[in-house]
Amino acid sequence: MSGQAAPLARGRFQVSRLWADPVNLLMLILLVVLAYLVLWPFVQLVIHSFTWAEGDRRVSRDAVPGAFTWFHWLQATTGPISGKMLYGPLVNTLKTGIAATIIALLAGGVLAWCVVRSDMPGKRWLQPMLTLPYIVPSFAIALAWEAVFRSPKVGGQPGLYESFLGAAPPEWLSYGTVPISITLAMHYFPFAYLLVSGALATIDSQMEEGALIAGAGRLMILRRITFPVVAPAFAAAFILTFGKTIGQFALPFLLGAPTQFHTVATMVYANLALGLDSMAFVLAIILIAMSLVSIWMANRFVGKKSRRFETISGKGFRNRVIPLGAWKWPVFAGVALFAFTVGVLPLILLGVQSVMLIDGFYGLENLTWHFWTGTSNPDIAFGEPGVLHNSLILGAAWNTIRLAFISAVIASVVGLVIAYIVVRRDNNPLARALDQLAFIPFLFPTIAFGAMYLTLFAEPVGPIPALYGTFTLLVLISVVSRLPYSVKTGMTAVTQIGRELEEAAEVAGAGWGMRFRRIVMPLAGPGVLSGMMVSFVGVMRELSLIILLITPSTRVLMTVGFGYAEEGMTQLSNALVLIVAVLTIIGELILWWIGKGRIARLREKQT
Amino acid sequence: MAKITVRNLTKRYGDMVALDDVSLEIDSGEFLVLLGPSGCGKTTLLRCLAGLETPDEGEIRIGDDIVFSSERKIEVAPGKRGLGMVFQSYALWPHMTVRDNLKFGLDVLKIAKKPSDERLDRVLEDVGLGALGARYPSELSGGQQQRVALARLLATQPQVFLMDEPLSNLDARLRMDMRVELKRFQAETGATTVYVTHDQTEAMTMSTRVVVMKDGRILQISPPQQLYRQPESTFVADFIGMPRINLIELAADKGRATSYSNTDISIDLGWDPGLERVIVGARPEDINLSEDRAAPGEDYEVGAVLPNGPETIVQLSRGVTSVLARVGHDTSLLPGQMVRLSYRSEAINVYDARTRSLVTSPVAEVAAAS
Repeated sequence: MSGQAAPLARGRFQVSRLWADPVNLLMLILLVVLAYLVLWPFVQLVIHSFTWAEGDRRVSRDAVPGAFTWFHWLQATTGPISGKMLYGPLVNTLKTGIAATIIALLAGGVLAWCVVRSDMPGKRWLQPMLTLPYIVPSFAIALAWEAVFRSPKVGGQPGLYESFLGAAPPEWLSYGTVPISITLAMHYFPFAYLLVSGALATIDSQMEEGALIAGAGRLMILRRITFPVVAPAFAAAFILTFGKTIGQFALPFLLGAPTQFHTVATMVYANLALGLDSMAFVLAIILIAMSLVSIWMANRFVGKKSRRFETISGKGFRNRVIPLGAWKWPVFAGVALFAFTVGVLPLILLGVQSVMLIDGFYGLENLTWHFWTGTSNPDIAFGEPGVLHNSLILGAAWNTIRLAFISAVIASVVGLVIAYIVVRRDNNPLARALDQLAFIPFLFPTIAFGAMYLTLFAEPVGPIPALYGTFTLLVLISVVSRLPYSVKTGMTAVTQIGRELEEAAEVAGAGWGMRFRRIVMPLAGPGVLSGMMVSFVGVMRELSLIILLITPSTRVLMTVGFGYAEEGMTQLSNALVLIVAVLTIIGELILWWIGKGRIARLREKQT
Repeated sequence: MAKITVRNLTKRYGDMVALDDVSLEIDSGEFLVLLGPSGCGKTTLLRCLAGLETPDEGEIRIGDDIVFSSERKIEVAPGKRGLGMVFQSYALWPHMTVRDNLKFGLDVLKIAKKPSDERLDRVLEDVGLGALGARYPSELSGGQQQRVALARLLATQPQVFLMDEPLSNLDARLRMDMRVELKRFQAETGATTVYVTHDQTEAMTMSTRVVVMKDGRILQISPPQQLYRQPESTFVADFIGMPRINLIELAADKGRATSYSNTDISIDLGWDPGLERVIVGARPEDINLSEDRAAPGEDYEVGAVLPNGPETIVQLSRGVTSVLARVGHDTSLLPGQMVRLSYRSEAINVYDARTRSLVTSPVAEVAAAS
């Protein structure tokens, strides 16, 4: 080694480091942008609900467009149509939400116990099957339900039920509270299942063994030990699941609207369809309030009570599996049948429906590929060509892929940058504010979020053009709605990158940009990549978020499928939803593959 | 070359003062060790030198450049201070090969491909990693990773080496080897080195001077021998040395100016510190033991005999006063035995019991002056 000195660069800066640091600059920009994209739309929504709109001249002679008014709120809460507008839908929302949550939690709880605590065989492939209904778009399940229980009383062709039993199903089984609750439960039980199995996995079986030694029987242990310990997590799971159900739009709309059965979420859509925007905004605010209350309550349960029940003691933790004995195979058969019925059967039904010339008539002579491969035929489905020849569908497919891809990439990169700021500047209150700001979209039911963007981007504001009807707006709302998730993914990734790795690069003279590009990005890569895939799948199956913002030129598969369903063109909507479902499943498989292979290998390298 | 000057450096974290008005001069080519218990501010000081922490007040110069000054609002980025750093965790980039880890710094300096390649070959060869350039850090042993971290520092040829407990993750044997290596590279490059450790053996064996820190302040800066022989406070005396120094609080005897005692023992210091109460610091090897009852000193009872390879540590007591002595490995002392014990008065240090700082004897002052 020679004693030759490294060139001592003369670069100095007289400015305070606070401003020279590009991270601080980035943080301020992100704060402003996010405030505009997250907080401001909500403020706008509230303002609009208190303002006379142009269209209100139709409903009231006192309307002075632009002026303040209590009219919409009064009309929603005390007006003559308040029962139909608000209270009826509110009761329906609570009714279906609570019923669905109870069913989902019971099913999820029992399944979680079987998978986590029992020695049931076949767990490895039952587990992914059990999460399938949550992966496919929720309205696939609604369409499948309709395929079976469609009632000719509301028009259209008979369903599978009537075709086989010869009698129309009772209306309560076709539309309204019962089918909505059951299908919601089918869609959300995997969510409850994941929450409960997480809680069950933390139980130290030594606690149960202690009770066993004390002479307690199996049931007594379950009742006095196991259940009280998981109770807080159970309560939180209940509220979180409920919070999710109330924001559901497509599913209750398909199974409720034909008989004028409305929830708050479908009422938002219905009002906007009627041009009663302000009323829709009032309902959207009520929906947001319900979501906020439920998440606040869930946090209280998880935050306070569970700490008292902190069960992971670190030392000597064991999770014993309980032998089922002779029940082993019956339990397995039951779970497998359940998984098949809720996960696979609906997709099969959709597939079968999509190849029937006239839906509802089951027979070989009625089978056709027309809806997949046929060209326009004026006698079938008003001349709509099959999927592969339908320029509308092909355009929508292209839009879907484009939207999902662009949104996923942007959401992941922005999420990583925000996560980086939050983790690395954890003592800066502005960084914490950024963290919270990025989480807020999680609190908005998606249809309400869509309603907000409808108000915000209807007209140009300053340098920002009117984005309504543009593809950009879809990307924007998709990105913002994915941020709570991508920031969390990013934070996990960044936390795993030791601070010293970056400091070493800093000492070597690398600026922030170079460090982010050459150290942070490659190391966070695998985690962010899988987060990107999650976002890709999430955006692809999203409907209620964007349904209000779609115009003919920006259609995506989900909205086209929804449109066909609304118009009664069952085969086409089934085909489309099936395509989206298959795409999302492929996405999940890729994700699973990434998780198994690439990430594991890279993780190994890092440690 | 690169002399480092630190003036009145203060760093606070909220109410906690991590560095409290620290001033320090480090000569060019020096191997300076920052030593102290955890939380004493040694790592903070190192990170301030590196530019990874921004001090609240003070000034840092490296060579002719002011790299930090709170008054003049100067702060030079870490990469422009002409220094290299080895981190405790090594901080090797796991997604880059050994060679790419080294190359990163050269890329930043925009060194052309050919000279860069040549330099990398040479450095890898130098640290004994010539064959491992294509490996990833995770495919290396702890000792090899340490060498990569060292090589990465050498590759950019900085004037200043900063090292934050670089050997603390190695096992004892490897640590010994690496100390020799580090010394060699430091001597060959002549780089000014600041080295943080909480391991006093490391501090004593490698440094030209040791800085002992506590609660964000510098307690003493001395060459290692002097630090061991003349700790300037009871804290430093107690902190340095294994087994620890015997610190005994004594009061002046009436009438005899050089004699101090407690209820159990009495020591003649041989000079008069002129204090009412003192603390005597006697290293275990500064205690003479004799089985001859006529030898000078007082009788102590042997409490425990702890053989430790080349030496044996003996715990003795007289009344409630207990001391440790270091004797040869061939000792025949047994627990329960009474022995004659005396203190080498020329070797023991005297501290003011109130201020707990060293009181220098006139003899030592004369010796120091000559």
